[in-house]
Amino acid sequence: MNLLNTLKGLLIYKEPEPVEKFILRENDNEASLSNQTDNKQTDNKQQDQKENESDRGTKKLKRQDRGGGGEPPPISRMLQNNLDYIKERFSVPTNSDVMIREFNVIVGKKAIPAFMVYYDGMVDRIVVDTDILMPLMLLSNLDIKSGDARIDVYIRNHLLTHNQIKEVEEFDQVLGEVNFGGCGIFVDGMNTAFAADVKGFEHRTVERPNTEMVIQGPQEGFTETIRVNTALIRKKLKDENLIVEDHLVGERSKTPCSILYIKNLANDSLVAEVRRRLGSIKVDYVQDSGEIEQLIEDSTYITSPQMVSTERPDRVAAMLTEGRAAVIVHGSPFALVMPTTAFELIHSPEDSYLRVPYANLLRCIRTIAILVALLLPGLYMAITNFHQEMIPTGLLLSLEAAREKVPFPSIVEILIMEVSFELIREAGIRIPGTIGPTLGIIGALILGQAAVAASIVSPILIIIVAVTGLGSFAIPSYSYAYSFRILRFGYIVLGSVAGFLGLSLGIFLQGMLLVSSKSFGVPFFAPFAPRTAGLGDTLLQDPVWKRERRPDYLNPKDNFRQPKISRGWTRQNNGGDNRNGK
Amino acid sequence: MGAITGMASDITFGGWEAVALIINAICARIFLNFPREVAEDAGTAGWLETVYFSILAFLLFYIIARLYARFNRKDILDIAGLAGGETGRIIGGLLLLGLILFAGALILREYTENMKIISLTDSPLGFVMMFFAVAMVAACFLGLEPIVRFIAVSVPIITAGLLFIVLMVAPYYDPTHLLPALGNGFYGIFGKGFFKLSTYSPLVYLFLIPPFLKDQKSFRRIGYTALGASALLLLISSLAYSLVYSYPTSLENFLPVFQLARLINYGRFFQRLESVFVLTFAISAMQYLGVILFFAVHVFKKTFRLEYHRPIILPFAVIMFSLAFVPSNLMTAIDLETKTYMTFAWSITFILPIIILLLARLRAAPGPLGAHPGGSPPTGGHLPESSPQGASATYRRRRSKGGGAL
Repeated sequence: MNLLNTLKGLLIYKEPEPVEKFILRENDNEASLSNQTDNKQTDNKQQDQKENESDRGTKKLKRQDRGGGGEPPPISRMLQNNLDYIKERFSVPTNSDVMIREFNVIVGKKAIPAFMVYYDGMVDRIVVDTDILMPLMLLSNLDIKSGDARIDVYIRNHLLTHNQIKEVEEFDQVLGEVNFGGCGIFVDGMNTAFAADVKGFEHRTVERPNTEMVIQGPQEGFTETIRVNTALIRKKLKDENLIVEDHLVGERSKTPCSILYIKNLANDSLVAEVRRRLGSIKVDYVQDSGEIEQLIEDSTYITSPQMVSTERPDRVAAMLTEGRAAVIVHGSPFALVMPTTAFELIHSPEDSYLRVPYANLLRCIRTIAILVALLLPGLYMAITNFHQEMIPTGLLLSLEAAREKVPFPSIVEILIMEVSFELIREAGIRIPGTIGPTLGIIGALILGQAAVAASIVSPILIIIVAVTGLGSFAIPSYSYAYSFRILRFGYIVLGSVAGFLGLSLGIFLQGMLLVSSKSFGVPFFAPFAPRTAGLGDTLLQDPVWKRERRPDYLNPKDNFRQPKISRGWTRQNNGGDNRNGK
Repeated sequence: MGAITGMASDITFGGWEAVALIINAICARIFLNFPREVAEDAGTAGWLETVYFSILAFLLFYIIARLYARFNRKDILDIAGLAGGETGRIIGGLLLLGLILFAGALILREYTENMKIISLTDSPLGFVMMFFAVAMVAACFLGLEPIVRFIAVSVPIITAGLLFIVLMVAPYYDPTHLLPALGNGFYGIFGKGFFKLSTYSPLVYLFLIPPFLKDQKSFRRIGYTALGASALLLLISSLAYSLVYSYPTSLENFLPVFQLARLINYGRFFQRLESVFVLTFAISAMQYLGVILFFAVHVFKKTFRLEYHRPIILPFAVIMFSLAFVPSNLMTAIDLETKTYMTFAWSITFILPIIILLLARLRAAPGPLGAHPGGSPPTGGHLPESSPQGASATYRRRRSKGGGAL
């Protein structure tokens, strides 16, 4: 029978069954939305007035269109009105993870209806059960000695045992708390609600920082949770003057961000500027500090970053004690510290933990790494194309012998290699971990042996590209390294068209752009241009005991971080007592 | 940040930035033909000629600085306005503009020709000149503040490079090359040497930046420091050149410092370090040309009371670019410089300011004068526009005052 059907299907024409095709069409009301907006605003205002005039207790609250600019209604004394409004705002029952739990609270001898709302998976269930529901439903039956006549005061003072409870008057405040893992509690007869911080969503634990590894020093890195991150900083900086100011960024994401600064140290105008920039952001969605960085930086188009992006709490704490400000974004394991300068971006957090000779050796190596990453390919182009006389004869002969069989001009040769290298680097980040080693083998084979054996490139170029790559990896700031990777291509082109003159033009233009740039009002090339006091921690590092002054260009409220004699034991006359060190 | 915005009309340079600006402008000639020019004038006593006209420059600047004492925070154009009204300011401005453009075009041509000869022999002249032109236009667009900051960083490096060359050729020094001590004689040293005062003609930029300087005292200090450091570097270069090359050879050399660099030979590997000279030479040239174009535009804008300076940057760059092509070859350009520019530039640099200052003192009432002659803005007009948040240039000054605002 099946065979017969198959044969029939092959021989006889069968009309195809109609298939519903999906096309994403414009919303019906979208086109006319803009025209209606103005009318809507007027209507909303009129509606507000009418509702206010009528009996608020008996009329159901209606959700007003927020896009039309209407204010959300106040919390009603009628529980049913609040419940209806909450269901509408949270799209219950369409929204499946919204939990609304209705229950009764015993106040005196009366059972008062109440409900709580939260997102399943966002809250800590044990806390909700033991600290919210149990006291309200069970412990309220106990004979509590209280003279509080008001329900809200009675519940807050005697029933709710949870430690983080806020009494709020607006729905938006409750909604904000619920959206961030809290719960809202509404009680009949109250025109306020309780918002409890009962966050319990899953998050990564504190681990070693992935991008700023150090041999010596703390091994803790930030996580994606803002309060964990602020706590990590507070753990290091035990100072009540450390202020953590909260802001919400993003119309929809409502991403919590914190500005951190030390109240009696950071310049007020710096803090005000960070606050102003952060507060003025009007975007829909923000998820990471990288996006905040782009939204608050001084200049978008210069290649250098204008803030320090770090995942190390110890580094943030140290920079805060210099008088800087920091921004931490919920969902990002990177904190932003501002302002910064071109020289601080080549510092590693490890520098402070190492003895001065070692730290200074590393700083010299990093400076060389920057020069190599930026200029080496361009220099190679300039020397091979224009300034061959600079190369000693023996070396020149071996270079020429190596290049003899290469069919490409040196610019093509170097671009092939640099682009290949960038491809490997990008692929190395995207490739799944298990096949990562394969990439190394492919890269080594293609870029190393095969390219030379096929006379596509000369061996010296392999060395140039490899050393350039090493140089860029030695730069501590990932963003700063990007900057040099981009500019390197410019120097290659300039070096290949005009030799040292081209390189000079590149250096001049880059230098001019750098000295004209600013990071939160601080010149990017300070303390060299303009010259300010204290060159002790720029290219090289002073010993710990000699770092008396904070960076001058930050204009902190207190210029000195330690007395001139910070090692009391060097003064024999006071036996090491440094209480009068100044 | 309000502090910064509020300070935008109070932009001043730190003393070091202003000193570096003048040093770079004066000593740029070292990389061109200065050591050979003094050797041509005075023979083996080129260094003595340098000392002579440097002392003259000091004396003339002393007079100017004394006359300037009453004109706090005014540039020479403001003072010309006081001395001769609108007409005085326009005449003074046009004379200065002529000097700056003439010098700029000649220097652009000389730098380009020299670069072509030492490094880019196969490239067309216009192509090489384009690199300098791009640099000076970019610098001018970014404004005076980044220019002076960049110069403040680069001048010590370039000076170190020059001193490195001078030290590395020490094995070739021969004191007998300085004999006879008076070289070509008194006329060569003191007669021709007088016109070498024009070497210090970039001092005109100092007379244009008082609105950006803290006070008269710093103006005087900056002037003396810049003159002293420049004189020292000019002396060192001419002395080293005379010590290395005998008189007949010294007249034939093209780009004397480059020729000195070519002699550096330490071991089998480090034989040809003169290419490094190209880097310092080119960067020094670019920043000097940036200064020239900026002040040409600045003088024009201020002379004719224009509101903005950016629209005239490109036209002025094109004018300089075109003027640089007027000499038919390098030798004509050098002739124009040594025979024409050197003959009159000193008078506009030193005599014109003295006349203007004297007239202004005669016409102005006794007592210190304000900073708004003829309604001119105190900052000289367009600096705030070119660097809207440039108050940080005053960091050092304000730091020294203990200012707490960021």
